[in-house]
Amino acid sequence: MLSSRRDHDDPIRGIAQRTTRRDLLGLTALGILAAGTKPARAAEGQLVYASHISLAPAWFDPAETSGIVTPFMLLYALHDGLVKPMPGNPAEPCLAESYTASADGLAHSFVLRAGATFHNGAPVTAEDVKFSFERYRGNAARFIKEKVVAVETPDPRRVVFRLHQPWPDFLIYYSSVTGAGWIVPKKYVESVGEDGFKKEPIGAGPYKFVSFTPGVELVMEAFEGYWRKAPTVKKLVWKVIPDETTRLAALKRGEVDLAYSIRGELAEELRRTPGLELKPVVINSPFWIYFADQWDPKSPWHDARVRKAVTLALDREGINQALTLGHSLLTGSIVPKDYDFYWQPPKIPHDPAAARRLLAEAGFRGGFDAGEYYCDSSYANLAEAALNSLEDVGIRVKLRPIERAAFNTGYAEKKYRNIIQGGSGAFGNAATRMETFVVKGGAYVYGSYPDIDDLFAQQAVETDRAKRAPILHRMQQLVHERTVYAPLWQLAFLNGQGPRVDESAFGLIGGHPYSAPYEDVRLKGGA
Amino acid sequence: MKQYILRRVGYSLLSMFLLSLVIFLFVRVTGDPVSLLVEPGASPEDIENMRRQFGLDQPLWVQYWHFMASLATGDLGQSFYYRTPVLELYFQRLPNSLLLASVAMTLSLLIGIPSGILAAVRVDGFWDSAGKIFALLGLSLPSFWVGLVLILFFSVYLGWLPSSGSGTPLHLLMPAFTLGWYFAAAHMRLTRSSMLEVLGSEYIKLARLKGLPEALVIGKHALKNALIPVITLAGINLVVMINVAVVVETVFAWPGIGRLLYEGITFRDFPIVQGVVLIGGAMIVLVNLFVDILYAFIDPRIRLES
Repeated sequence: MLSSRRDHDDPIRGIAQRTTRRDLLGLTALGILAAGTKPARAAEGQLVYASHISLAPAWFDPAETSGIVTPFMLLYALHDGLVKPMPGNPAEPCLAESYTASADGLAHSFVLRAGATFHNGAPVTAEDVKFSFERYRGNAARFIKEKVVAVETPDPRRVVFRLHQPWPDFLIYYSSVTGAGWIVPKKYVESVGEDGFKKEPIGAGPYKFVSFTPGVELVMEAFEGYWRKAPTVKKLVWKVIPDETTRLAALKRGEVDLAYSIRGELAEELRRTPGLELKPVVINSPFWIYFADQWDPKSPWHDARVRKAVTLALDREGINQALTLGHSLLTGSIVPKDYDFYWQPPKIPHDPAAARRLLAEAGFRGGFDAGEYYCDSSYANLAEAALNSLEDVGIRVKLRPIERAAFNTGYAEKKYRNIIQGGSGAFGNAATRMETFVVKGGAYVYGSYPDIDDLFAQQAVETDRAKRAPILHRMQQLVHERTVYAPLWQLAFLNGQGPRVDESAFGLIGGHPYSAPYEDVRLKGGA
Repeated sequence: MKQYILRRVGYSLLSMFLLSLVIFLFVRVTGDPVSLLVEPGASPEDIENMRRQFGLDQPLWVQYWHFMASLATGDLGQSFYYRTPVLELYFQRLPNSLLLASVAMTLSLLIGIPSGILAAVRVDGFWDSAGKIFALLGLSLPSFWVGLVLILFFSVYLGWLPSSGSGTPLHLLMPAFTLGWYFAAAHMRLTRSSMLEVLGSEYIKLARLKGLPEALVIGKHALKNALIPVITLAGINLVVMINVAVVVETVFAWPGIGRLLYEGITFRDFPIVQGVVLIGGAMIVLVNLFVDILYAFIDPRIRLES
């Protein structure tokens, strides 16, 4: 677990001071026992992934992390972070042995793990950590750097980040919202240059880079010296197979061992195929219906009863069964369930009768023509299903699927009216989600509620977690009570596993869509 | 003759300039690529930074000027998505596309020409009808459907062929057939109509009247002339096969230029789309220029008329 003691102790020195002769004898005995047991088997075999998306060299470099989750598919193999999301812990110390925040919240100290090395054998040092942070130029780079006044390296194993003012979200931004906390070797990057690094990246992760053919194939090999444990699969290969049916065919033939993104009827087919296994992963990507006109007194959506009618009309269970075989999560929130400060709203029932009653009370007894329902065309299937639910209670809408890039731009530029079907897999916590989608000035906010805005301002400067959490919970509760959004689901990403695989590592890290950590991946009969 | 060649070269350069302008504007009409490279919810500042990084914050004419200036030095720019020079990506994929296109073209000619001849010689007979059905299916069945049916039958059901990828001759069979069938149908139809026209001409009637064997009349006198438009079309089709076999390369995960173009379109990677279209366009312009000049050499009337 993450050590978050708010003191200035050096944990290494502390451990050394507390170690007794009895401890040393015990450790020696353990060493003898370990030497007597069967040595760990060397990594062997090859595992092939069928990737649904072309892999980009920019994803070999943590400095380029653009704010989408996809690069982390490769970062988890090649690189390592001081602190990163791991099984059971969204912020586990990795290259850092420990982390401490000062009582005033202005200093965040990391002690580096002894013996952690890069693939070229060079030790991971404080200078590498500082260099990686300063070099970072990806998503939210300016935002995070503006808050850091200095990065100090008092000794090769200690790094201290000093902030201008207390910032409770420093660790989440440093470890997972950005790639700033994923460490690259300073000397190597300086010697080969930026382009050279993308061509032959070196990291401190469980797998070493071997070769890459853009759009075709990526090969990596196990790094036996990885600090957490040596991987058991010798070679990992990612083959890019853009077509979903072809990916499934390749999985059925045993040409690949794990196939990403097999949806709908193909997922059903996968589930029926003997020897194959469907591996659903609920990702940090909730979808929702947003009532963009709720602040317009002339709009029917201004009436909370009408918005509530929508949320009661939605047959979420039916939609989930039809589209993701029941694997998506019906949280009733726009905040991913695994995010820090998440508040669980009460279950929203599917109650068309109550929805009709609310509509009648609001003066729409026979329903009404509600105009347009905007959505990203990639998720038009979800929109169609939601639209059927609305039609059932008399809310008649016209579907307007828009190509993804145009939709995202139009949504952010606030060009749409009426109903918008949105979704986001952006990293963060409940506060960052509220900031972007609920609070005044947010990138996708068409209007806001002053009391929610005030609560947001309060929590933003609250460094005491115990006091901050209730404020964020209250904000989410208000969003739920006012039906600012009608949440749809938290999407399940469906993948396939072939018969040779013992542990695919799908779903081990909460909300992470891909197979990770890679050192946990195992083939049957492997070590 | 010199003036004729210079004029043709001038037309070619003008075509390339217009193509560059059209493709430059068209890709930008499709929307903002940055919104595909960040997660919904990214801060406006991050989006703006990315636009600046790719030069998309500049006025259109400045972007075009940079594009043309780079082009003049042989630089097609750097892919937004792969962060790799477009030319490097293109040449990485080119050998695969050349291989696929040459096998598919060979198949299409081997199927299309004999069936076209047979259909013309046995006009309105069984072979003609069979050829017409073959052509109709080849031209109307979508390549993605043909590809998927082949994968399901030969890979999944029979287990004879690999479902996708590249590396061995077996990997090549299904994509080459899928791509080749469409063009075989086109070549068959053109061969048939061209042969019918030639078979109705005076010199063929004369050859028959002279009592030449039918095989010689068809194989030597008719086919040679009938093949001229077919070969011209095949040349252009080869360029098309190399550059825009988008569907076939995507279904079979064949790592060629068509898939590069598909990726460019999918991710709104302007430099890739511009680069692939410009190189493909340049190939077609060059082939046409070569043919024009060749015609002028062969047929003096062309250069005199022009």
